[in-house]
Amino acid sequence: MGKEEKPKLKLAIYWAAACGGCCVSVLDVHEKLLDVIAVADLVFWPIAIDIKYKDVEKMPDGYIDVTLFNGAIRNSENEYMARLLRLKTKILVAYGSCAHIGGIPGLANFSTREEIFKRVYEESESTVNPDKIRPQTEVEVEEGKLDLPEFFNDVMPLDEVVCVDYYLPGCPPQSERFFEVFTAIVNGLDLPPKKSVVGVTDKSQCDDCERKKTDNKLVKRFYRPHEIEDDGETCFLEQGVICLGPATRSGCGVRCIKGNAPCRGCYGPPPDVADPGAKMMSAIATMIDANDPEEIEEIIEQIDDPGGTFYRYSLPSAILRRTI
Amino acid sequence: MSYQPKIVSFLCNWCSYTGADLAGTSRMKYAPNVRIIRVMCSGRIEPTFVLKAFREGADGVLICGCHPGDCHYHEGNYKCLRRYYLLQKYIQQMGLKKERLRLEWISASEGKQFAELADEYTESIKELGPCKVKEVMEVLT
Amino acid sequence: MEEPRIGVYVCWCGTNIAKMVDVEHVSKELEKLPDVIISRDYKYMCSDPGQDLIIKDIKENNLNRIVVSACSPRIHELTFHKAMEKAGLNPYLFEMANIREQDSWVHTDRKEATEKAKSLILGAINKVRWHEALEKRSVDINPDTLIIGGGIAGLTAALEIADAGKKVYLVEKTDKLGGHAANIDLTFPFMNSVQQMLNPKIEKVINHPNIELFLETRIDEAFGYVGNFETTIKKENEEIQLKFGNIIVATGLKTFDPGGIENYGYGKLPDVVTSSEFERMLKEGKIQTNAGNDPRHVAIIHCVGSRNSDFHEYCSRTCCMTALKYANQLRSALPEANIYEAYADMMAFGKGCEELYLATSRKNVTFLMFDQKDNLPKIRKADSKHNFEMLIEINDKLSGVTVDVPADLVILMVAQEAHENAKEVAHAVGVSMCGNAFYIEKHPKLDPVATTTDGVYVVGSCQAPKDIPDSVSQARAAAARILASISFGSVEVEVTTAVVNENLCCGCQTCINVCPYTAISYDEEKQVSVVNEILCKGCGTCGSTCPTGAIRSRHFTDQQILSQIEGLLSTVLELEEA
Repeated sequence: MGKEEKPKLKLAIYWAAACGGCCVSVLDVHEKLLDVIAVADLVFWPIAIDIKYKDVEKMPDGYIDVTLFNGAIRNSENEYMARLLRLKTKILVAYGSCAHIGGIPGLANFSTREEIFKRVYEESESTVNPDKIRPQTEVEVEEGKLDLPEFFNDVMPLDEVVCVDYYLPGCPPQSERFFEVFTAIVNGLDLPPKKSVVGVTDKSQCDDCERKKTDNKLVKRFYRPHEIEDDGETCFLEQGVICLGPATRSGCGVRCIKGNAPCRGCYGPPPDVADPGAKMMSAIATMIDANDPEEIEEIIEQIDDPGGTFYRYSLPSAILRRTI
Repeated sequence: MSYQPKIVSFLCNWCSYTGADLAGTSRMKYAPNVRIIRVMCSGRIEPTFVLKAFREGADGVLICGCHPGDCHYHEGNYKCLRRYYLLQKYIQQMGLKKERLRLEWISASEGKQFAELADEYTESIKELGPCKVKEVMEVLT
Repeated sequence: MEEPRIGVYVCWCGTNIAKMVDVEHVSKELEKLPDVIISRDYKYMCSDPGQDLIIKDIKENNLNRIVVSACSPRIHELTFHKAMEKAGLNPYLFEMANIREQDSWVHTDRKEATEKAKSLILGAINKVRWHEALEKRSVDINPDTLIIGGGIAGLTAALEIADAGKKVYLVEKTDKLGGHAANIDLTFPFMNSVQQMLNPKIEKVINHPNIELFLETRIDEAFGYVGNFETTIKKENEEIQLKFGNIIVATGLKTFDPGGIENYGYGKLPDVVTSSEFERMLKEGKIQTNAGNDPRHVAIIHCVGSRNSDFHEYCSRTCCMTALKYANQLRSALPEANIYEAYADMMAFGKGCEELYLATSRKNVTFLMFDQKDNLPKIRKADSKHNFEMLIEINDKLSGVTVDVPADLVILMVAQEAHENAKEVAHAVGVSMCGNAFYIEKHPKLDPVATTTDGVYVVGSCQAPKDIPDSVSQARAAAARILASISFGSVEVEVTTAVVNENLCCGCQTCINVCPYTAISYDEEKQVSVVNEILCKGCGTCGSTCPTGAIRSRHFTDQQILSQIEGLLSTVLELEEA
């Protein structure tokens, strides 16, 4: 009965540079969403409820109990909302890979803003833009001058612009993990120290992976997943397929591997790893079964895109977070 | 003063570090740009260290280990060699010139070779000019 | 972790460092850094007063981390470890910055060298922050010893240890004992008979109750660590397992093949022989030309394959004196013959050697000096009009004249070089080789028989060309070292090993085959990798292979090295200088 009397939590969900999958993952708790609604008022969630930014601006500081912020910081609007929500929120959660470590949008850091604009507004096969018009940050319309977001050169994870309380990784986070974390907050359980990664274990994917693993980790040839006939049982690495599982934190329930696809690293680094891409590169290179420089180079030739392979989700939070 | 590059050098204890010491005891002279970090084996050197060095402002990274077949720990230098090639491919993808990372084998008796290498490598980095990694990484735009 | 309280000591090393590095300035600058409680410079940090300074500071100021910037850690790290222990601090809470061998001795600009010193020390300070106390461990010593090689050095070491009541396994790859010494007739400079010295030793070894002898036997890779090695030896088709606590490598050398030196015509001119071949003539008591005549002109050419960058840069050390010995033996055997010594430089150091040179020069021997680098003597067959076999064209540096020396017999004083299977043995026992394939000792001056692998010693000519007295001295020195360790009973082992954090290890098993010492195994029950810290030698390769960050390479952890990199490249002190 006491629970009923407790004031409802105020929950906000926001998407910055994101695909929308994170918002869907919240919906993916299905009927449990009703349990969420029972204890929390959704005060802001652009994808689902009609509340404007100016409504958020009017909220008192610290008004929102929990904000699940998904998406990376790609433009000035993302940054503005991150700062605004930080101000208005008690517990700010970087929700999903993009807010956590940069995610797929972060792959844009292999290019500069100029390269992206040139490609998108001039060169792309479907572009018709004879005047080579580029996005503007302000535009005159009948009603006056409009300010538009500025596209940044760098994609950033959320904690590059504001302090983050917790990280809930995944692309998208496993819905159950969201629910567990949410329930813990609602019930006022002992929360982990600030800046913790939640909804994960301390171990890496292999700990949950049921494929057969041995110490035979020597590779003469690397394969893309479609180039092998996967037996569904043997460790991907032992089949020469690059799997980021050992350098990726567990918590997703090895969804990809169970679906016979190697882990691509969306759950981010294990606790003691600063740069999971570099760690994985080190491990993968060590597995190469050759000592002759030419042979080594030949084998490495088979890894077409080391940057995109090893930093698929983590480029903006890597030691080299973009090309120079 | 002309441009003085910063070069971080990772040396294995048994061969290369000893070789660098020998250059010293033999009073050979070489460029002061190379700053040495000692590890027990070149097999200990991992991409994270190299990337970190660039991130902190190194203009070049020089890795030295025992000659192939002479590793004090049998095969650590081969592990280093494999990582070196993958790392080379990666840093080039990130826009770094491959000359900014170099791997050479220096034995415990090759003090002279180490001194010459330090000079030659310093020159080659001077030609490339400053590495922009630190500058680019520090400012988000 | 406790707050670091760091003491930094910048050594002058007399003028060795202070001349090129402004040590006072450096130590003043460092004092500004956070956590640096004390920063001092001192004339000789390694001296007793220098060490006492550290000990006193630790006690009075509660320091918990020490950085000494001085010479190479390879020289004095242990000295300072001991000082740390004296002060009650764990020795691993210490780091050295090498500002002598890798700074003051190699640079010429004081400002640049000073800047570099700051950078190296900043790296060391940053690294030591993350150092952790490591507990020393000791293991019992197996009192048996493996000796590889049955030459004069191996035999001497075997007897020394066996006579002290300890078991020796003596492994020799050929079918007889004695090595190169067995082929020698008399020794220089006192003309003692080798056989009289060697045979009783061989006899004693064969019959010694504490020596187990394996002839025509080869060894496989030795596994383990000081005090507890094991290996398989192969004798014909038999394989025998041996366990032992220490290893003496006494594999000797081989002689240089002069066939590649065109000037000397070895292999083409039948009367050009090597020193080994001539030694055999002496042993057989028959000095004759190929045609069976007494030679009337004998020339001895020095430095064949030695002291020349095309072959071996080093001096083979015994040939000059052996050549003089030959001149004496020739003079006795062939009183009428003309004897020529063609040398590059006369290397006559050592007891009785210069005296031998002087004595030989009074025995009607002609000495000619040639240029070893650019102008080797050239041997050609003499025309039939001459009543001698060959002519040697020598540009004599002493007279400045090119002369043709007649010869019926030419003795080439061939170099001594490392064994063809030196590498194989090096790998089997884990010793390092220098560029010329001789084994490297732990310290050229202060630790000449130990190697960088604890429990493995190198003696005799496998370490560098040597005469018999030096080989014997080394053999006895190594034996003494081993007997001391056996009598102590235990030995401290490597503590800077790898360790697996079981809470992080995901069981991917990437690390297991990376280890050259099979020190990592997979625990099926816990599903994690486990490091056997006794087998681990601390190379750190597994640590850099582990994609999960679960393996820590103690004393060289990711955090320590990353922090060192930050320090090395830090610009905090640069502004001060500018």
